[in-house]
Amino acid sequence: MTLLQVEGVSRHFGSLVAVDNVSLEVAPGELRAVIGPNGAGKTTFFNMISGFVAPTAGRIVFDGRDITATPPHQRVGVGIARTFQITEIFPELSVRENLRIPVEVAAGLRVSPWISRATDRQVRGRVAELLEMGGLAEKADRLVGELSHGDQRAAEILMALALKPRLLLLDEPTAGMGERETYEVTQLVRRLHKDQKLSIVLIEHDMRVVFHLAERIMVLAEGAVLAEGTSAEIAADERVQAAYLGKAA
Amino acid sequence: MTQLILFNVFNGLVVGAFYALMALGLSLILNLSGVINFAHGGFLAIGAYLAFTLMPYIGFWGGLLVAPVLTAVIGLAVERVLIRRLYGRDPLYSLLLTFGLAYIFEDGTRIIWGAQSLPYQIPGWLTRPLSSQLFFLTGYRVFMVVLVAVAVVGLFVILSRTRLGMRIRAGTLDLETVSVLGVNVRLLRNLNFGLGIYLAGLAGVLAAGLLGLQPTIGASLIMPSFVAIIVGGLGSLPGTLLGGLLIGVASGLATVFMPSASEAVIYVMMALVLLVRPRGLLGEEGRVQ
Amino acid sequence: MSDARKWGASALIWLLLLAMPWWLPLVGGYQELGTRVLVMALAAMSLNFLLGFTGVLSFGHAAYFGLGAYGVGMVLKFLVPSTLVGILAGVAVGTVAAAIIGAMIVRLRGVYFAMVTIAFGQVFYFIAFRWNSVTGGDDGMTGWKRQPIDLGFAQLDIGNDRIFFYLVLALFAAAVGIMALLLRSPFGRTLLAIRENERRARYLGIPVERHIWLSFVISCAFVSLAGTLYALLNNFTDPRALRWDLSGNFVIMAVLGGMRSFWGPLIGAAIFVALQDYVSSQTSNWMSIIGLFFVLVVLFFPRGVLGVFRRKAGS
Repeated sequence: MTLLQVEGVSRHFGSLVAVDNVSLEVAPGELRAVIGPNGAGKTTFFNMISGFVAPTAGRIVFDGRDITATPPHQRVGVGIARTFQITEIFPELSVRENLRIPVEVAAGLRVSPWISRATDRQVRGRVAELLEMGGLAEKADRLVGELSHGDQRAAEILMALALKPRLLLLDEPTAGMGERETYEVTQLVRRLHKDQKLSIVLIEHDMRVVFHLAERIMVLAEGAVLAEGTSAEIAADERVQAAYLGKAA
Repeated sequence: MTQLILFNVFNGLVVGAFYALMALGLSLILNLSGVINFAHGGFLAIGAYLAFTLMPYIGFWGGLLVAPVLTAVIGLAVERVLIRRLYGRDPLYSLLLTFGLAYIFEDGTRIIWGAQSLPYQIPGWLTRPLSSQLFFLTGYRVFMVVLVAVAVVGLFVILSRTRLGMRIRAGTLDLETVSVLGVNVRLLRNLNFGLGIYLAGLAGVLAAGLLGLQPTIGASLIMPSFVAIIVGGLGSLPGTLLGGLLIGVASGLATVFMPSASEAVIYVMMALVLLVRPRGLLGEEGRVQ
Repeated sequence: MSDARKWGASALIWLLLLAMPWWLPLVGGYQELGTRVLVMALAAMSLNFLLGFTGVLSFGHAAYFGLGAYGVGMVLKFLVPSTLVGILAGVAVGTVAAAIIGAMIVRLRGVYFAMVTIAFGQVFYFIAFRWNSVTGGDDGMTGWKRQPIDLGFAQLDIGNDRIFFYLVLALFAAAVGIMALLLRSPFGRTLLAIRENERRARYLGIPVERHIWLSFVISCAFVSLAGTLYALLNNFTDPRALRWDLSGNFVIMAVLGGMRSFWGPLIGAAIFVALQDYVSSQTSNWMSIIGLFFVLVVLFFPRGVLGVFRRKAGS
C-alpha cells in the first residue's frame, strides 16, 4: 500500500525541461533518498510534491487522494511537511515560539482567538517533547536567528515534525554543514525514521549521509530518472558513477 | 454630439498622456529599485517652477529643454544622499522617506515661490486651434501629446538600444545576477532614478502650460499615476503607458455622460482590474507575490 | 523584557492615562490634546496590528478612519441623535469596507499592496470631497455634535471634555485589550509567523491570504473606531480625515514609537501629536518640519523609541 505515488510528473519552464516524466512510489515507513548532480531537478521535484509549483504533466497521489492541484497549506493538512534548502524559520522568534506555531496548527487551533489553560499545557508539553527530541531544550528561549546553522536546521526539522506529518520531505538537510553538525542532523533524521516511524524522502548531496540513511535511492540527472534501486545497487551502478564522477562515497 | 465626444476623448487623451508620462517615471523607479516615489509629484512641481523661473532668461523652449534636466539632477542628488541608504531595508522606509520629501517639496515650493497661482506663458502660436472645425485641437494640446509621444519613444529607445537601458531592463528582472555580471548597481539605480525624475520634470513643464502653477500641482497628478500603474500592469512599462492612456480616455468619455463621475471612473477601473486580473492588464505574474 | 517588567510597564502606562487630565496641564498640555493623543494612539496601534505584527504595509488606513468619522457624523446629523448608534454605524461601515477591499487586494504583496491601499484611500477621499450635499465637501460636515449617552441609571454628559476623555479611554482600553488578547492567542501567533517568514508559514499549513485578510479587517475595524472618536472629539469631520497624509502619519507614529512593540505606537502618537501641535502653533511652514521629521526618523531612528529596548537576532 503506497503512501505517496508520483506518476510521471514533468515540469517545463517555457522550453526548459526541469523535470522529465519522473515517477516515485513511497511506502509507509520508508526512507528514500533522491540524489543527482546540481541542476538535476531535485528541488523542482520536491516543489511539486509539496505544492510550491504545479506539474505541467503527471499526477501526485497521496494516501489514495489526488493532490496534484491542492495548495501548499492544505497539503500540510493531508500530512506532508517539508524543509527547505535554505533554512526557513522564524528568525526573530524564540525556538520555543517557532515550535509552538506548528504544534498549534496541528492541534487545529490556527484561527483560535483564545486558548484554554488545559490546551495551553498540552501545547507546551508537546513543544517540550520536540525540544528534547532535537536536543534543543537548553536553547529553547534563544532567538532562532541567533543559533548555529546546524541548530537552525534541527529546529526547522522539528517544526516540520510538529505538524505530525505522515511524509517528511527534507531538502538537503546537511547543506553547508561541517562534520559534527552533519553527524548530529543525520542522527536526528535516523531517530525520526526509526522512533517515529515516519516516511521520509530526502534530497542530499553528501553521499555518506545518503548511504547511511537510505534504503532505496533514486538518481536524477537532467530532470529524468537515471537509476533507481537499493543503496548497494546504486553504489555499483556505472552510469551513476559517471554522472557524479568522483562523488561516490 | 460627436463633436462633444471627440472633444472629450481628445481631452482625455491629453490627460492620459500626462498620466502616462508621470506613471512611466514612477514605474521605472518602482520596478528597478522597489521604491514608491511619493515625492514624484513634488519633482513635477519643481520642474514646473524651475521652468517658470528660467523663462525670462531662456524662454519657453529653453525652459522646456533645461528644467527637466535640472530636476533630474536634483533627483540624482536626492537618490544619492537619501534614498540609497534604504535599499536593503523594508520598503516601508523608502515609502516613508519619499512621503516626507513630498511634504518638504510642497512646502518648499510654497516658501520659495509663494502660495498663489502663477501664470505660465506659452508661445502664442501654440494656443491657436489647428482648425476651425476641430476647435478643441489647440496647438498646445496637440503639442503636448506629440511631445509625450516623443518622450515615450525616446524612453523606449533608451531602454532597448542603449547599454544603460538594457542594464535597467535586466536589473528589473534580476538585480542580483546583473551585479554579479559586473554592473555597478548603485550607479544604475541612481541613473534610473534620474531618468524617472526627468520624466516627472518634463511632465511638470508641460502641466504648467496647461494648468498654471500652484504648489499643489504635483499632488493632484500623482494618484492617477498610481492607478495607471495598477491598471496597466505591475512591472510592465508598456502596461503603464497603456494604463495611463486608458484611464485618461475613460475619464474623458465619462465627462460626456456623467461629468461628476469622471474622476471616479479611474478608481472604478482600478477596482475592476483588481477583481478580474490583479496583476494588471499587461502585468507579469511574478510581480504580484 | 521579562514578563514582570512587561506587566509593570503596562500598569504604569494605564496609570498615566487614567491620570492624564491632571498631569497634562502641568506640562503645558490641554484636555483636547490629551484626547487627541489617545485617539491617534488607537489608530496607530490598530494600524500596527497589521504593520508591526503581521508584517503587512498598508498606507491607506486613513480611509477607514475617515469612514468611521463620516459614519458617526452622518448618523448624528441625519438619522438619530445617539452617540452609541453613531459609533456602531461608523465602525460597521469601516469594517465592511475593509472586508470588501481586503478581499480584493489580499493576493498582492509588498509595495504593490501598499500602492493599492493608497489608491483606495483616495477613492473615499474623493467621495467625501464630491458628495457635497451630504458631506459638505471640502468644508467638512458640521451641524451635529456628540450627544449625552443615556445609560438608564445615569446620563453621561460627554459634551464635557473630561467625561468624553474617559469614554474614549474606556473604548481605547477595550480595543487595545482585544488586540492584546488576539496577539497572544494561537491566531495571533500565526500572524507573527506570517510576518517572520511567509513561505514558512504557508508550509506549516497556515492559509496566509485568509489570515492577512482577517488581520486587515480587525486592524481597520479598530481604526474606524478611532475615526468615530476623532469626529466626536471635534464635532466635525472633513475630507482630510481620509487623506493619504493622515495614513502616512499613522505609519510614522508606529515606526517612531517602535513597530515591534505593543505600546510603541502610543508613544509615537504622543510625540507626533505634541510635535505637530507645537510646530503648527509656531510657524505656517509646519509641513516642511513634519516632512523633515519623517526623513530623520527613517534615516536615523527606524527602530523607534521602544525598539531600542528589544533584542534583535544577529545584533
